[in-house]
Amino acid sequence: MKTMMTRSLLALSLAGLGFTGLAATSAQAQEATFVMTARLVGAPTYNPTKATKLNTATTLIFDRLVVQDADQSFHGQLASSWDASPDGMQWTFKLKPGVKFHNGEPFNAKTIEWWVPQFKGTENAFTVEAIERVEVVDDLTVRFHMKHPDPNLLFNLATSFMCIPEPKAYTALGDKFGVTEAIGTGPYKMQQFSVGQQTVLVRNDDYAWASDLSTNQGPAKFKKLTFREIAEESTAYLELKTGGADMLVNVPTDFLPRIQADKAVKLVTIPGNELVYMPINTSVEPFTDVRLREATAFAVNQKEILTSLYGGNGAAADTFLISSLKESQVEPKYKISYDPERSKKLFDAAGWKAGPDGIRVKDGKRLEVKLWTQNGTEFKRLVEIVQAQLKAVGMQADISIIDAGSINAQYRKKTEHQLAIRAYQWTNADIVDWFFAAKRAGYPNVSMFNDPEAERLNDIAMNKSKTWDERVANFTRYHEYVLSQYAFAPIYQPAQSLAYGKRITLPQVIRGTGLYGPTMLDIAPAN
Amino acid sequence: MLQFAIRRLAMLVPVFLAVSLVIFMIIHLVPGDPLEHLIQVGSSPEQRAQMIARYGLDQPLLVQYGRWLAKVVTGDLGDAIVMRQPVARLIAENMPHSLALGGAALIFSTTVGIVTGVLAASFRDSLFDRAVMGFILLGSTLPSFWLALLMILMFAVQFEWFPVSGARSWDALVLPALTIGIGGTALIARVTRAAMIEIANRDFVRVLHAKGLPFWRIQLRHVLQQAMLPVMTILGLRIGWILGGAVTVEYVFARPGLGSLLITALGQRDYPLVQGCLLMLAIAVMLGTLLGDLAQAALDPRLREAMGAR
Repeated sequence: MKTMMTRSLLALSLAGLGFTGLAATSAQAQEATFVMTARLVGAPTYNPTKATKLNTATTLIFDRLVVQDADQSFHGQLASSWDASPDGMQWTFKLKPGVKFHNGEPFNAKTIEWWVPQFKGTENAFTVEAIERVEVVDDLTVRFHMKHPDPNLLFNLATSFMCIPEPKAYTALGDKFGVTEAIGTGPYKMQQFSVGQQTVLVRNDDYAWASDLSTNQGPAKFKKLTFREIAEESTAYLELKTGGADMLVNVPTDFLPRIQADKAVKLVTIPGNELVYMPINTSVEPFTDVRLREATAFAVNQKEILTSLYGGNGAAADTFLISSLKESQVEPKYKISYDPERSKKLFDAAGWKAGPDGIRVKDGKRLEVKLWTQNGTEFKRLVEIVQAQLKAVGMQADISIIDAGSINAQYRKKTEHQLAIRAYQWTNADIVDWFFAAKRAGYPNVSMFNDPEAERLNDIAMNKSKTWDERVANFTRYHEYVLSQYAFAPIYQPAQSLAYGKRITLPQVIRGTGLYGPTMLDIAPAN
Repeated sequence: MLQFAIRRLAMLVPVFLAVSLVIFMIIHLVPGDPLEHLIQVGSSPEQRAQMIARYGLDQPLLVQYGRWLAKVVTGDLGDAIVMRQPVARLIAENMPHSLALGGAALIFSTTVGIVTGVLAASFRDSLFDRAVMGFILLGSTLPSFWLALLMILMFAVQFEWFPVSGARSWDALVLPALTIGIGGTALIARVTRAAMIEIANRDFVRVLHAKGLPFWRIQLRHVLQQAMLPVMTILGLRIGWILGGAVTVEYVFARPGLGSLLITALGQRDYPLVQGCLLMLAIAVMLGTLLGDLAQAALDPRLREAMGAR
């Protein structure tokens, strides 16, 4: 309701008032203000080891051993090269020379030897769970001896949670590390941080160890960056509109059409790492019957949703993984794309015949199901379209909008829900384990999927893969099997959108899996 | 007067205990928990169970309440689960922003409200009176969220007089303070006007007029002084209301403060932080009411006598 009011008011007011272009510039040419909207608001700390939520500024303060590109390939950042033994039991990393932390301390193999054990007992312990011990081979060479092969090691090392902090400051500051001070090797130093409000960064003039994802291999172009956190989307947009901000790091979907129409603001979209989908509760009637699940999945018109709701931004989804992951390249027969005729035939075959009002009936029972989603304008609009699409094949879905903070608790009741509209953001195939492993039934396994064959394939994918290629093959098989059981309907892959004003320029290609450190190094003042 | 103040203060103790219980229970009875924000993709169900035990969330609610209250009375509000910082520190960092905003709003609404109320009462039933009261009615009925956006569009986007949001400079305080203040202005103006009119009809005022004292002297020195009694009560209540009302306004204007902190904490179901913020707001309301009562008692000795104080 609140967002609707905002949108209505904005629409009226923007039309009525008539904008006269960007306001006078307020920031210096060497400074820029970026705005992080709702999804990135509220990261409580820049301590990467202990954090469970980090934001864009993290990868400017700290570096990682490796970084990941949009095509999911890995590139050295603090590591210059690496190799794994054939049995996957040893990983050797060569480190870049001459790297220094913001406080002047050197970065070397001893840093890594100290760093890996710091994860013990934290929520991020799983990232290094497979590492038995760290061996310092020489000052710039470090070797991980593994408990078992972990082909996912590079992915973990490339996440923001594996940004590398400076040991002495980390130890001395304790829980204050990342809050009052954050010392890394990144292109910017943290000057000030107010939780939920803003982070001010100043340039690290000594920076000279960028990854090859950046064109600029020297210090950053801006002397000072301010990252403001603005949860209210209208306010964030108006800050950009009036020149109070130079960039919206993540554009709220509702504002895409307005920004596209605004000549004073440029919009850039990059491949997304999010997927919107409809989990189907496989443990409750009528969805215990796989034919009903299949019929429901094929009733969702992904392209119509993409066009009508998202103005064509992003892509229709036909599997459970984002398309840049190799594991999403499944056999065509496993893909789930809108096919109403197939859907209707399946309903008929299962004995659900269309009643006088179009809603299907079996044994005197109407095909009425519960369709849940969390609050938020985008979800509300999406769930209404899906409701209409399901009705077109004879299913009546009654919508429930549940507070985002409590919906997961409702899923944990396990049998209260039937269908739901949800989204996740992740760039690794292990999300299939997260959402479909039997041990996670209720939440996050909202589909309540519990299938012996899936469990077998899960075990192989999660625990038996030795190399990255083997892992890809194993996860592809696991993914295909889950697809064949119609535990969900894929809907949409949003693009990542960022909008910026006239005072800054962006590189032609945004490298990396999002707007992170590598691209930020190439962002420059407009003149 | 001192005895009166002590009695009133003592009455706050059971109120505080009741409020603390309600605050604790309400947030714990709402579905959802802070662990949703701490569980990572890749962590196991066993890790979740460990976290539940680590934060004491597996204990009965009354046990959790008892532990929390025992710490609260010693001034320890605990650590925020998701934010991982002492609640007291987070509140201390944000409180000055809320107090600045609330103070500015209170000064605005009190000044403008009393002046408007006096003028409206003095020119009762005139076009001015009707226009002012109509405007006031409009101001008090607009939701603060709507009003905040209207303020931004008008004064920040169209006229570019003030920043859209934030708290980086003094002028960023103006629009949020006006947004909160307008609602209070309406209330104070209405109460002032009604009290002024009621007192102006009393015999002693008629006598003053009959004696030939100037109209404005009577209005400002005699009528207004009496009319301030109900206004004081309203002002006391407003202190707490303003801090509570700032929740929406701080959110829209992306300002730091207790309101922004509370919204973040609620979204994350960060129990200790929500409890701490709500407790501060409740204390502000209680102290505001107390201040209003004390001010009223100071102005009106009959009230002190009625309460049994000498």
